[in-house]
Formats: sequence, C-alpha cells, structure tokens
Amino acid sequence: MKKIVALFLAVLMLLSFVGCASTGTETGTGEGGAAAADFKVGAIYINSKNDTAGYTFAHHNGIVTAMKAMGMDVDKQLFIVDEVPEDAEQVGAAVDTLVGKGVNIIFGISFGYIDAMETKAAEYPVVIFSHATGYKSNSTNFNNYFGRAYQARYLAGIAAGLKSLAIGNNNVGYVAAYGTEYAETASGINGFAMGVQSVNPDAKVYVKKLGTWADEVNEAAFAKELIDSFGCGVISQHCDSAQPQIAAEKANVFGCGYNSDMTPDAPKAHLTAAIWHWDVYYGTAIKAAMECGEASKFVEKMGTPAYYGGLKENFVDVSPLSENCVEGTDKAIAAVRKLIVDGEWDVFSGVKLSVNAQGEVVKTDAALVDNQGNEIVPAGGESVADSVITGTMNYFVAGVELV
Amino acid sequence: MGFHIVKRENCPWWQRLILYVAAVLIALGLGAVVLLFMGVDPIEYYYQMFTMGTVGNRIAYKTFMNYLKEFVPLALTATALSLAFKMRFWNIGGEGQFIMGSIAAAFVVFRFGPVLPMWLTLVLMCLAAMLVAGLYGSIAGVLKVKFGTNETLLTLMLNYVALYVLNFIGETKADWNFFLQEQSARPVFKNFSSIAAFPQFALGGKFQLNLCVILTFAVGALVFIYLKYTKQGYEVSVVGDSLGSARYAGMKTGWVILRTVFLSAALIGLAAAFKVGTAGVLSTSITDDVGWTGITVAWLAQLYTPMIFLVSALICVLQHGSMVAAATFSQVDSSFANMLQGAILFLVLAADFYTRFRLARVKKGEKKNG
Repeated sequence: MKKIVALFLAVLMLLSFVGCASTGTETGTGEGGAAAADFKVGAIYINSKNDTAGYTFAHHNGIVTAMKAMGMDVDKQLFIVDEVPEDAEQVGAAVDTLVGKGVNIIFGISFGYIDAMETKAAEYPVVIFSHATGYKSNSTNFNNYFGRAYQARYLAGIAAGLKSLAIGNNNVGYVAAYGTEYAETASGINGFAMGVQSVNPDAKVYVKKLGTWADEVNEAAFAKELIDSFGCGVISQHCDSAQPQIAAEKANVFGCGYNSDMTPDAPKAHLTAAIWHWDVYYGTAIKAAMECGEASKFVEKMGTPAYYGGLKENFVDVSPLSENCVEGTDKAIAAVRKLIVDGEWDVFSGVKLSVNAQGEVVKTDAALVDNQGNEIVPAGGESVADSVITGTMNYFVAGVELV
Repeated sequence: MGFHIVKRENCPWWQRLILYVAAVLIALGLGAVVLLFMGVDPIEYYYQMFTMGTVGNRIAYKTFMNYLKEFVPLALTATALSLAFKMRFWNIGGEGQFIMGSIAAAFVVFRFGPVLPMWLTLVLMCLAAMLVAGLYGSIAGVLKVKFGTNETLLTLMLNYVALYVLNFIGETKADWNFFLQEQSARPVFKNFSSIAAFPQFALGGKFQLNLCVILTFAVGALVFIYLKYTKQGYEVSVVGDSLGSARYAGMKTGWVILRTVFLSAALIGLAAAFKVGTAGVLSTSITDDVGWTGITVAWLAQLYTPMIFLVSALICVLQHGSMVAAATFSQVDSSFANMLQGAILFLVLAADFYTRFRLARVKKGEKKNG
C-alpha cells in the first residue's frame, strides 16, 4: 500500500513539475511567412510511410516530389506520423506531436480525420490544416482538397469503350470499393460509364462492390466473376491493388486500373489507368502556405476552402496508353481532354459527347438520366454542382447496373 | 559434456533486477542495430523516444496529457486482466470487452446524457460499461464452468464479434443509429464531449489532470488490497494454483471463477468508460489495442499490481515516444515500437526463466535426470 501511495505521489509531482515548466506562450512560429529553408511540413498517414504502393504511398510520393521540386530538404523539413487510425484521440495526439515539432502546415490524408482536424485547427490558429477527401473547412487556416477523378475516369472510359467495340463485347465490368454509399465511388463509376458510352452507346457497365477500400482476395474474385458470369471484356476498378487487372490478364480480357499505371502488373491486359498527381496539390498548398504570411490567411491565399482540381490543373490524369489500346484512342482522348481543360464541357452536364477513334467529337443536348429513369440534369442543362459530385451523388447513371 | 536445467532455490531481488534491466538493455541494443542499418543514429532516436520529444517543446504539457490518455486505459486493462490471469483464466478477450463497454458507455451518453446532470451521466456511463463488459466476459466464464469449454478460444473469438458489432454501428446510416452524425453523407461517429466528459483539474500551468487518472490509481490500489488482503483474493490465487485443493478446501470454485471473470471484464469496461468519457467520441480503433498490450503488460509485471502500473507507464513511454521519434526520422515508421516491445517481452521472459532456473554442467559419469 505504501508503495502505491509513493508511486502515485511521485507521478503527481512529476506531472505538476511539467505543468509548471510549460507555462510558455502558445506554440507556433507565428513570425509571419517562413522561408523555404525553415518551413516545416507535417503529415498524418493512415498506413505506413514506407509503403511501396497504395493510397498512403501516393500521398507520400506527392508530398516528397513537391517538396523536392521546391528545393526543400525532406529529411529535415518533413515530419510524419503514420499508421494513425481514424480515431479522434490518436489523430489529436499526432497533431500535438507535429505542432510540438514546429510544423507550419499539417496534411491529413484520411477521411475519418475530419472532426479531429476541425477541432485542432481551432485550437492551433497559427498552424495550417489541410484535409484530403473531407468537406469541412474554415475561412482562415483549415481547408480540404480532392480532385475531379471522374474526369480522368471519363478518359479511361473512352479507352475501354473503344476496346469493347474492337472486341465486339458490350459488357464492361467494374470492381468498386463501394457503390452509391459514397459519392466518391458513385461519381467515379458514372464518369467511367459515360466515357465508355461516348464511344459505345450500347455498352453496359456491371458493378460489383467490395464493401471495403482494399481486399486483395475479393478484388481478384469479383473481377473473375464479372468476366465469367457477366461476360465482361474490359474490367475497370476503384480499389487499392492491381488484382482486378491481373485477373483480367489471366482471363485474356482487358482492363483499366486506378491510382497508378498498372501496365507493369498486367502488361497484356491493361489499357490505361485513372491516376492522381498529388504533388500538384501539395506543391500549390505548400507554396501558398509559405507566401500567405500567416496561417490565418491561408484559405484566402488558396482562393477557396475546398480545392477541387481536375484535368485542367493536371491534378488527375490517365497513365500513358499501353500497346493494348485500340489505334486512335489517343486522338479520341486528346479531343475530349481539350474540351474539359478549356472549360467548354464537363462530364455531368446536359450535353452528351459522341466520340470516335478519329478524334471527332459531336455534342448533343441530352438529359442526364439515372438508371431508374429519373432525370438528373435536363437536356442542355448546366453540370451537376461540385458539392453533389463530392458529397451527395447517390445514384448510378443509365447503363450502369449493380450486380 | 552438456548442460541441463536446474531449479533455482532462491533468487535475491537484486539479481532479479539486474536480469530484467539487462534484458531491456539487450532489447534496446538489438533495436539500435536495426536503427543503424536504417541509417538512423540510435542515441538520437532513443533520446527522442525516452523524452517523448518534450525537451525544448513549447507544448510539452500536451505530450503528457496525451501520454496519460494512453496510460489510463492500458494500466486499468492490464490490472483487470491480471485478476483473471491470477486464477489461470486466460482472458484474451480484453479487446472485445473494452469495445462492448465503450458501446454501452456511448449508449448511456446519447440516451440519457441530454436530460441528466453530467456527474450522473458519468456515473451511469461507468456502471453501464462495467455491467455490459462484465456480462460479455462472463459468457466465456459460464460456458467454462458449465461445460468446461476452453476460455482462450472463446474470449478470443468474442473479440471479433464485438469488433464487427462496432463496425456495423459505425458504418450503417439509419434512423435508429443515433451513434452517427445526422448531417454527414458518409457515416461518421457523433461527438458527445459537450454532453459528457470527465472533469479535469488544472495543476499549475496549462497541464490538466483528468479525474480518470486519479480514479485509475484508486482502482489499482483497491485491486491490490483485494488480491492481497481479502478472502476473495485468496480464493482467486488458490483456484489458480490448484483447482483440486480449492475444492478440497470447500471453496465453491465455479462461483469463484464466475465472480472473478465478471470483475475482470467489468474493470475493462470501466477502462472503456474512462476512454470514451475522455475522447468524447467512439471509433473503430477505440481500444488502441489495450486488450492485447494489456496481456503483455500483465505478464511483464508478473501480475503484481504496483508493477503493472510501472510497466504500463514504461510501455506507454515506448509507444508514445516511438511515435514522436518516428515523426523525426523518415526511415523509421511507428511499427518499430511494436518490434521493440516484442523484443523486450521476449527477453524479459527469458530473464524470468533464469530467475527460476539455471544451467548446470553435466559432470562426467553423472546420471542425467531426464
């Protein structure tokens, strides 16, 4: 008993000592804009920073690429807390650690960090908080960022559609993490399907959903089922690994990957993949953070609390077309890319494109209709709002079927 | 010529201490070798780890508060597990009991928090979490007493049942599901820190001591007294040492097992209530693996309550410090802490072996006692 009392008192004493020791001013640099040499970047990852593929790898690669391009020393200026689950306490502790290291900006890459990032942004007004895939922000030091992956998927869809015409098979498969529960997956599936339909109006896209973002076993199994049971000749995907592409190669059909160029994984099957250039955002954000003077002016400097870059910013793209692509795929993709980059047209609008392998594009006014027959956008109407694409798109367009 | 193992009669405490300290040092040395291979200066790394990056840190008080948030659930869970282990009841279900306790605690907050005063909500939260976790743990206890089932397997499997229940609650948007935020399109757990949060006391400066820390030490003291000075505590160790002797002595062994298992699981539920009442939100990672780490801690401390608190404090330094150190060195990720923890456990258990046995040379002609 005496020992416990002694231990307890010792701990209390230690803590009160620490409490007294840390009565300094609230943290942060706060000395105005930091120069490139003493600017510190913090990041919170869901998986290991030593990953060699997948979501965390893509972000880590983006941050490192952007920092190197700006002449920053990654070993001294980048601080990472990795393998942080979507748990408010653990995210909070990671933020405290990074702020303790004196970082100027903190990137959080997983959706579930959303509330902790919001709370901590209010707690540390002198540090910038930037949250991927979320929808929360404030008007000073907290923004969110994501990309128009649906535009890249539309382009990949063109490659898939041309292939389906060439092999005379109108059935296209799609292994998705989720279906209409997440706007992210729904908008990706819709964008891809509309790209396919722009070259092959008779094509149908069959979607099978995993119910999780990564599950290598089922990613392969679902692709195989789409090929065997639904006769699909091209397999697209929204999941972490290259398994669906490998399954497509084994079955002698074709596929479109995601996140990274998957041609090395399935050299005989892969056409092109919708990919992200995360370094585009990270470069933009770090530059803005350095130039904005103080953290509270970050959102103002960025121009928007919700960065949503697309093909125009080169934030999303398709990977180099493989030799498996039909001749003319490059011309068709280039023509549509130009329309999007120039701001003349966007995917979820009341104008439909009809594209061919000669790179000819015909625009027609046609309503955007979901697969239940409901009209989403009237013929000739404006594109669906960004907030819908990122937040509430909970339908599939006509020609998509969940199986 | 060879060696054989001989039981050691008595090992003085200072020899034991030297053995344990040596084991930890060897583990750190092994870690240092790994660090060197990764091109990291081990001294700098360990300095960051053991100070948890608090030196020269203007928000060091936050580090200590975060540290205590890790310490409380771990110390309490390990203490709770030691109760069952003392009785040789292998409760591997700390994770599941913790999860069930946290769901019960959150349930109380959402259902009754808005209409009750906060202190009453907190008390009810603790009681509900203890009751639910206790009953959840008792499933394996009842089956063992009634049918002689293996509690290791049962408690282990019940962990996953609990985890999937929590995942289901966390991913299912529905009208009945008041655990989630209504306005979010994606499923996100709702924060309730404004309805119920354990009070904190300012201890000079910005450091705030959470009531849970004090309560945890109080519970630790009670468990220590319970095991050492009460009749029930005595029964626990007799049942653990020899079920036959316990029966012969006229103890109702089934009842002792049930009572102890319930108490063990209920205290894990209390740890969950403390965690939930501090975090103010559920998450699918709410346990932070204390159900597993607690087992390690209980064994490293040899089920001795004051030692459990000490070992918990050290393991938390290791875990929290590793996160801080890994943030500085880009080559090392946070899983290095797991490796180090594994090495320490392995070597301390090896040291433990040497406190009980020693190697002796087999002399020529001597008959081996097999």
